[in-house]
Amino acid sequence: MPSFAPLAIITDPLCHRHDTGGNDHPEAPARLVAIKERLDQSQLAPIITTAQPRPAERQWLTTIHSDEYLYRFEETTLSGKSYLDHQDNQLCFESYEAALRAAGAGLTAIDLLEGSQTSRAFCCARPPGHHAERSLALGFCFLNNAAIAARYWQQAHHRRKVMIIDWDAHHGNGIQAAFEEDPEVFYLSIHEHPTWSFPGTGWQEETGLGPGKGATCNLPLPPGSDDAAVKKILLEKVEPTIDFFEPETIIICAGFDGHAQDDMSGLCYTTDLYRHLGDCAARWADRYCQGRVLSLLEGGYHLSSLAASVEAYLTGLVTLEP
Amino acid sequence: MFIARYMTTPALTIPPEMTIPVAKELLQSRHFRHLPVVDDAGKLVGVITDRDLRSAYPSSVLSGDTIKTCLAELDKTPVSTIMTRAFFTVTPASTLDDALILLDRERVGALPVVDENGKVVGIFSIRDLTKAYRTLFGLGERGSAMIVVEDDGNPKPLTRISRVLEEHKIRFTRLIRKDQDDFLDKSTIYLRVNTYNLSAVRNALKEAGFNVTIPTITPSTE
Repeated sequence: MPSFAPLAIITDPLCHRHDTGGNDHPEAPARLVAIKERLDQSQLAPIITTAQPRPAERQWLTTIHSDEYLYRFEETTLSGKSYLDHQDNQLCFESYEAALRAAGAGLTAIDLLEGSQTSRAFCCARPPGHHAERSLALGFCFLNNAAIAARYWQQAHHRRKVMIIDWDAHHGNGIQAAFEEDPEVFYLSIHEHPTWSFPGTGWQEETGLGPGKGATCNLPLPPGSDDAAVKKILLEKVEPTIDFFEPETIIICAGFDGHAQDDMSGLCYTTDLYRHLGDCAARWADRYCQGRVLSLLEGGYHLSSLAASVEAYLTGLVTLEP
Repeated sequence: MFIARYMTTPALTIPPEMTIPVAKELLQSRHFRHLPVVDDAGKLVGVITDRDLRSAYPSSVLSGDTIKTCLAELDKTPVSTIMTRAFFTVTPASTLDDALILLDRERVGALPVVDENGKVVGIFSIRDLTKAYRTLFGLGERGSAMIVVEDDGNPKPLTRISRVLEEHKIRFTRLIRKDQDDFLDKSTIYLRVNTYNLSAVRNALKEAGFNVTIPTITPSTE
């Protein structure tokens, strides 16, 4: 029987009430239900403590988003409109409050990680965040949860060098845009090649701008790529990049839509890959961050694969080396 | 699709009397590779390229004295003696396709754009062409994805695809049908959709009888 490190899961009932209008919208509350049911049955259940997030305070939201956008987002929900900026971004009356919890989950998790209660935290929240830009909702995302968490970690807990590793099947355009010129937040993304994949960004040639040159790394994969392709770039590209940057904190944008069963991308990962990604995240965190690592749920839409992949990832993340 | 929309204006032009060293200096300082040469009326009489200018200079393996004599000679030589008079041009009403064909066939790097009187109104380079096609293909257009659809061989595939997407209110900007070739076994349809909801796109296409495939660089063996 392996032994596990404690795991904090930050989640909120309001995250279930972000209603994307049914009609087979993939980013649905059922995602969180599927994950919870799976984890409750898993061997991880005894080591999980759950915490409820606080709503993210405006001062942290505005490190990433414009005031105009935040008002527009809130007003859109209150006015009874059904989407923001594009029909993909369906919302309801309670979506703004839900989004504040999804963004706040990162902040609550960081406080827990810094308070030494736990070194592994997973924000099981929605709406997701990595496509949201300063003044634009995109790809089911409204508030850029990971970017807000990165700024909070730097400014509230004085951790300077933040590494964001995003292995959602899609490129996190919003995160790249937020930190492109910032040498202290490194954004690394493994995603399906932008010629084929939404949102059509994340070219390998983009490595950051101005003072941020060298602190962005895009690793696009051709459609059909499997576990072996990811393991190869983890070894050849990701490991050396982390060793070069020596992060003080790590944020993982954990999207599970690269799974072969998930039709939202052409990537063909198996559930086992997510276990491997969990092992890697734990090792990186132990090497550079005294074990602290924050993971945020991004995509993943095929319910049973999503739930199984989350369990596999978290198992890797908390399993202690014998 | 018209050159007028994509050309660089105004084009820097020079008179035929300009000497070779002055023209060389001008090209280098402005980082250009092509200069249209025009007469007093602005009418195109020739084209000079950085390569023409370089080959006008003496080889560095010659003796110092010979080089000196050559350079003194060049100081007095107008560009009209070395410019290309057999040039190719497009007009503002030419299309990107016209330019592509000319640039490709004649292996030149840029084409002066002239009006009906032969007056230079702009220049269109390979770089302008790549930028234009970049826009047309929607490259870097945030918020879109490209889907590959197998042509099922039944009539009117593009009509059926457009109809089903429009019925489902799925916005798309490009629909390209690529005929069967040596590389792909079946003819393929490329579709650029402006949505993240690819499940919805797949379901709509399935409803119209189409199969969405994962693009691959090796020929299909089906």
